[in-house]
Amino acid sequence: MQAGLFVWILLAYVFCGLLAWTRRPESGFGRLMVVVGFGAALSNLAWSANPVLFTVGQAVDLLVVALFLHVFLAFPSGRVAGPARVVVVVAYAISIGLQLTVMLLGGFGDGNLLAITDAPGAANAVHAVELVTLSGLLLVGVGLLGVRLGSQHRAVRWLVGSFALGLVALAVLLVMGLFVAAGFTLVQRLTLFVLGLAPVAFLAGLLDARLARASVGDLVVELRAEPDDLTPALVRALRDPTASLLYWLPQYRSWVDHDGSPVTLPASATLIPRDGEPVAALVHHPSVEAELVRAVAAAVEMVIDNARLRAELRARLSEVRASRARVIEAGRTERRRLERDLHDGAQQRLVGLSLRLGLLESHLDGDPAVRQALAEARAEVATSLSELRDLAHGLYPAVLSGHGLAVALESVAAQATVPVRLDVRLDDRLPEPVEVAAYYVVCESLTNVGRHANASSASVEVAPARKTLVVEVSDDGAGGADTASGSGLRGLADRVEALGGTLRVWSPAGGGTRVRAELPCG
Amino acid sequence: MRVAIAEDSVLLREGLARLLTDAGFEVVARCGDASALLGAVASLRPEVAVVDIRMPPTHTDEGLRAAVTIRAEHPGTAVLVLSQHVEPALAMTLFADSAAGAGYLLKDRISDVAEFLAAVRRVAAGCTAVDPIIVSSLVARRRPDDPLATLTPREREVLELMASGHSNQGIADRLYLTLRAVEKYVSSVFGKLGLPSTGGESRRVLAVLLFLRPETDRNRG
Repeated sequence: MQAGLFVWILLAYVFCGLLAWTRRPESGFGRLMVVVGFGAALSNLAWSANPVLFTVGQAVDLLVVALFLHVFLAFPSGRVAGPARVVVVVAYAISIGLQLTVMLLGGFGDGNLLAITDAPGAANAVHAVELVTLSGLLLVGVGLLGVRLGSQHRAVRWLVGSFALGLVALAVLLVMGLFVAAGFTLVQRLTLFVLGLAPVAFLAGLLDARLARASVGDLVVELRAEPDDLTPALVRALRDPTASLLYWLPQYRSWVDHDGSPVTLPASATLIPRDGEPVAALVHHPSVEAELVRAVAAAVEMVIDNARLRAELRARLSEVRASRARVIEAGRTERRRLERDLHDGAQQRLVGLSLRLGLLESHLDGDPAVRQALAEARAEVATSLSELRDLAHGLYPAVLSGHGLAVALESVAAQATVPVRLDVRLDDRLPEPVEVAAYYVVCESLTNVGRHANASSASVEVAPARKTLVVEVSDDGAGGADTASGSGLRGLADRVEALGGTLRVWSPAGGGTRVRAELPCG
Repeated sequence: MRVAIAEDSVLLREGLARLLTDAGFEVVARCGDASALLGAVASLRPEVAVVDIRMPPTHTDEGLRAAVTIRAEHPGTAVLVLSQHVEPALAMTLFADSAAGAGYLLKDRISDVAEFLAAVRRVAAGCTAVDPIIVSSLVARRRPDDPLATLTPREREVLELMASGHSNQGIADRLYLTLRAVEKYVSSVFGKLGLPSTGGESRRVLAVLLFLRPETDRNRG
């Protein structure tokens, strides 16, 4: 029975390994499986009566544990990387190093040719450490498989599950061997059986990939309909939820996705070239079969031009959007700078001048005509100051940067030509561009109410909703506002849209006007 | 009377100092920013501080913040804030709890030396000074069923002077009325607006300003 199971493992791994080796020569996985098959068989030598064979068998007895761990963690690429690599290396080091130490200390009885001393107590202790450490590493391997499970190709997922079962069984077996529990033989058989199933699972995975290739036919049919977004069709054909198509835009020297946003090309991508230049890249999980990827890439190439043009259009659109945002932002910064210059320059100087005139006037006690002329000059300066104040405030509402939207809007509401009910629900300050845009939405809307609406009252509501700021100005006036050509509303829409927001206006004749802006601010 | 000045423009700071010195004030501190002012007020305890609202480093509202701090921590120092802009909401920030010993004037007002000095003295004496432009913008605000419409022109004038922080005697002097006549107008205004006649003048200012202020539902953190 025992021997039968070992033969079963040998045959299963070697057969499946050879099959994989011939079909996927670029992957080291097939070779690894063959090695595991022979490695497992080699440990059978420990049953031999010949001391040399027995010694060799004992020496590689636990190496097979590391080999199983290696092959399971290496599926399907044949390589191990990152934490998996560390686990595998440590497992090899322990299964060889500690096993040899045990043998040098005279463990495993008389047939052991490597014994240089006879210290059964020490040998047993080292052996126990070896078994426990290896079973611990196996459980870590199960954890790594579990992490992979989430990101895996569907075909791989149940394979990973069966591998995990094998590793857990192996870990249990090692610990049981330590305590020589009653059911040892049963668990050992079960373990060998499960481990022997793994190559079958692998073979099934291979078959599944072959089946998947049939889906390329479906893909071609789907692509003939020229879907706007090729991604869902690719996901289905490759059976890979992470699959997508990237496009190379030479004029931007950049890869972009379906939305035209620049992205970096991931490592696991297959380039689709034309005239020696890449035009697109098929992004997929590394576990997807190379042959299937080639077939899908060939199918995609037929429709690539239109899809690429659409992606390019979207890229240009987002570039235009970004440049509009920059233009408006530059305007805002410039107006703010001008306001500041006015405040610190002309306004301060004029206030200084009027102060000097005032001082002069208060020290003057002569000619009433001179006094009169001074008073007139002072009044002239006061008028200039008042005009400058309006100009500066029109350039940039200074109160906004110091005190925020709620305070700034209170001043706006106070100066409106109709009674305004103001409802500002803000706990925190918002990014300055958002506050400025919201401020202008309210100012311009209230100006329109005063000019055109013939309204008796208006209301302003400002409240955050998720990651947007909602600004709504409504009146009870005549409605029928010209939303298309009103330059004020158009300018507002530009300002709001440049921030990625939306501005909507409802103005049915006789039904009042409602302006609603939604500004993203997260 | 001892006064501290905070103004970042040297020209204006020295002009203000000269104006106040000429009028018999003792200028004990000339500060270029808000933190220097707070230090000077804490150590020198002037009776009044004249503060520019926009000062370094951010040039937004340092002066106002400093004024609010002074009012909370040094009740013995009155504060007169000077601003380049008409912002009723900022004046209300300054008067949040009480209008006693606080003032908010447009910077231009310093050119009318007599008026300006009167305002400084009024604030130092524990009364209030509110810029007439702020008051008139509040009074001019349109309201539903405007209760101000029921006021006579003379009552309206009295209301505006009250809101600017003038005492009954001050109002009487400006409008060439007797004190008794002013008292009659004041109680008539309070009656028409439905405001309770409160005791002190600064409490009266705050009540009137709060009445004139736009009705808002605000929830600022």
